[in-house]
Amino acid sequence: MGELLHGFAVALTPANLLWGLAGTTLGTAVGVLPGIGPALTVALLLPITYTLDPTAALIMFAGIYYGAMYGGSTTSILLNTPGESATIVTALDGHQMARNGRAGAALATAAIGSFVAGTLATLALSVTAPLMVKLALAFGSPEYFALMVLAFVMVTTMLGDSRLLGWLSLLLGLMLGFVGIDGLSGHARFTLGIPYLLDGIDPVIVAIGLFAVGETLWIASLGPAIDELLPVRGSLWMNKEEWSRSWKPWLRGTAIGFPLGALPAGGAELPTLMSYAIEKRLSKRPEEFGRGAIEAVAGPEAANNASAAGTLVPLLTLGLPTSATAAVLLAAFQQFGLQPGPLLFEHESALVWGVIASLYLGNAMLLILNLPLVGVWVKLLSIPRPWLYGGILVVASLGAFSVHRSAGDLILMAIIGVIGFALRLIDAPVAPVMIGLILGPAADQHLRRALAISQGDWTVFFSRPLSAALLLAALVIAGWGLRRTSAFARSASARQAKIET
Amino acid sequence: MLIALPAIAGAQPLVITAPAAPGGGWDQTARAMQRVIIDIEPGANVQVENVPGAAGTIGLARFIQSERGNPHALMVTGLVMVSGVITNGSPVTLSQTTPIARLTGEYEVIVVPASSRFRTLGDLVAAFKSEPGAIAWGGGSAGGTDDLLIRLLADQIGLPASRVNYIAFSGGGAALAAVLGGQLAAAVSGYSEFAGQIAAGQLRVLAVSSPGRVNGIDAPSIRESGIALDLANWRAIVAPPGLSDAEQAALTERMTRMATSAQWQATLERSGWDDLFLAGPEFRQFLLAEQSRIEDVLRRLSTNDQPPRSTLAITMTPMTLPATTALIFTMALALVIAKSMRRQIAINSAGRRMLIAIVFALAILPAVFITIGFIAASTMLFAIVASTLRATRPTARSLIVDVTVGVVFSTILFVVFTRGLGVSLPGPAF
Repeated sequence: MGELLHGFAVALTPANLLWGLAGTTLGTAVGVLPGIGPALTVALLLPITYTLDPTAALIMFAGIYYGAMYGGSTTSILLNTPGESATIVTALDGHQMARNGRAGAALATAAIGSFVAGTLATLALSVTAPLMVKLALAFGSPEYFALMVLAFVMVTTMLGDSRLLGWLSLLLGLMLGFVGIDGLSGHARFTLGIPYLLDGIDPVIVAIGLFAVGETLWIASLGPAIDELLPVRGSLWMNKEEWSRSWKPWLRGTAIGFPLGALPAGGAELPTLMSYAIEKRLSKRPEEFGRGAIEAVAGPEAANNASAAGTLVPLLTLGLPTSATAAVLLAAFQQFGLQPGPLLFEHESALVWGVIASLYLGNAMLLILNLPLVGVWVKLLSIPRPWLYGGILVVASLGAFSVHRSAGDLILMAIIGVIGFALRLIDAPVAPVMIGLILGPAADQHLRRALAISQGDWTVFFSRPLSAALLLAALVIAGWGLRRTSAFARSASARQAKIET
Repeated sequence: MLIALPAIAGAQPLVITAPAAPGGGWDQTARAMQRVIIDIEPGANVQVENVPGAAGTIGLARFIQSERGNPHALMVTGLVMVSGVITNGSPVTLSQTTPIARLTGEYEVIVVPASSRFRTLGDLVAAFKSEPGAIAWGGGSAGGTDDLLIRLLADQIGLPASRVNYIAFSGGGAALAAVLGGQLAAAVSGYSEFAGQIAAGQLRVLAVSSPGRVNGIDAPSIRESGIALDLANWRAIVAPPGLSDAEQAALTERMTRMATSAQWQATLERSGWDDLFLAGPEFRQFLLAEQSRIEDVLRRLSTNDQPPRSTLAITMTPMTLPATTALIFTMALALVIAKSMRRQIAINSAGRRMLIAIVFALAILPAVFITIGFIAASTMLFAIVASTLRATRPTARSLIVDVTVGVVFSTILFVVFTRGLGVSLPGPAF
């Protein structure tokens, strides 16, 4: 505790506060723009920070990381165009809330949920880091594979109205994910002899294509007459009922997000998805999910921010980056001659606790920065529709291009956009594509890695207790799914009715 | 970072190609060079261009094609590109470039958990020889430096390189968790990836892949165990083909000046890179030798590339899961199409017209994005989308308004991104 107080003394110097503010502001801005994520921003800023004091630079980078997690939800909710995979789940119900005139409440619950989760998870980071390391090391390839099977089952049973369509999207994502050089063997898979495809398909480009471009095409296909967006009604922020429906999901989201983020192969996709699934399971009104349930925004947003703090556990204690941003942060540490690992806390105590303390302050700054912005963001919706979607496509293509500076990415973005439109046309959920794309190759690698280590012995998945438990959970959830009657016909007739009216 | 400054009259800009995305080792090397050259040559204009893809071979192909004969172009390369050229079946190779100098590098370490029964490299190699499959080695991606080291090691002790049970991770850091968790017998990576755990006593270094002892690493070299092998993950600088002897000499001279400057030495120190500077004919020879031994081991690997022996009837190959997925996807798609036939999907004619216009704009965007620049291309996209989505038929007046808004919006974005974030976008220079 004394160390943490000392950390606050470091973080509260005026210069460091200013760097923290610069980082969180910049982070919020890049989070709002699709494609320009925190990883790219930090990578581009690295060279100009050589001359800075390491503590100041790392405080700014951490601010960018947290800020981007806040900003990412804004476009998801307002425009149904998440720019990064961490906020895809937020878009599901968040955008429906915006359509129902509750955009302000959705943004507020996302911001406050992010604050609650960020603060609690930072607290957990400062207290439980050594414990988390033990958990992380208990996870081997069999456990990761089992965890991903669980995620696939959840995605297909929880999202959308039809299991068949959910599977279709998931399988499409898996196929896209397998494209490129296989990391384990070096074999080229599904590359059709095109050199561009050797590196695989970047999830950022797919997210932009599926959501920003797909949504624009969908809006266009509805023709000029239809505009279902309701004006903001009720209080701008959350009302009493929305508060009482939000706070439990915030806490549950934090509890899910932090440990999953701390796993060496965590990422933000699994925790947000699991939070959604659990909220839907616990809700008294599961039928509202997918139509604007505030729990489905509050939970995943909290999980998303808690996992960002969780990611710092393996980074600081093992020197192990588990996300693109963490990998760039690791490069930043090394640039300053610091080696994250078991000895970092001992050797660089002032710096580490300074950065952790700045995370608390960063969260507070972000809340202060973002709550007043809710009103400004909501005004985005009153921009004339032609300009709004013209602007979205311009920013989307800018984002897609600047990831690799490749015109090939623009072609891919357009193709994926048309696919995203086709999926919307047949009422298929779009999120499973992203889950398959990101987790599919990882599941394949962990499966083969586990078998290589066990020398071809398949019982390894059942003889390790953690792996067996996760597979059992997947089986149970698949069982629930089977009990539900296929809703395909129902959803089809619902759509028919929508068109006729 | 704010590199979009106008060129100083007379000074031809030096363009360093980093054949990788921002943030990686090659990119860091290029940006470090940029900083040092600007520092020691006042008025110099140095730009870094990222051309990522396929272990650098996409950047290599572009460098050889479009920079031929240009004495103001350099590219960062390294060991991984030598193997990438072979594994990716690249039509161009490093021998088509003009070698200038090797700059930095890092030696590999072979580590085991502190609790491991292997005390020396000799112990590990003995166990490896008697049952190759039982020793699970871990490290970075397939065909990378870590993988190559173990294949070369197997080669040296008389085992076929294909018998190695090498388990690739996304990087040495990711293999770290697996070796600490006791799933791997040993892990291989650059020293810096494991430095924290080595210092904390959680990992034991069995050997370093250097020719002799390395300062600061308390472990014998592989050669000391009687295996004639050393390997560095080196990074070097090459120039395009078709340079005159004078141009070559000038570039070599400029790089030598940079590599011997105090600023460069300070950069090496800070980044933890070893100084492996080597220029001229010696570097040329080194490059040829590296190419031939790596080609050798990789060719032999691919000629007897059999899946590891398995006790089960089902063996997982890299294509097992993808092929299964493709099969099930096709079935699911057929089922969905069959079900969708029964209901019609309604898009009215106005919607169809709007869709076609926007898809058209997106289709021509990649073709014009680089040629006419970001501002013009984005204005076009914006104007097409905005006038298409208008409820009424676009008039000359509305078109002018849309184009104006598009120009203003694109220009603001362009300035913010190029000046503020340092993203280089194709476009007119101001």
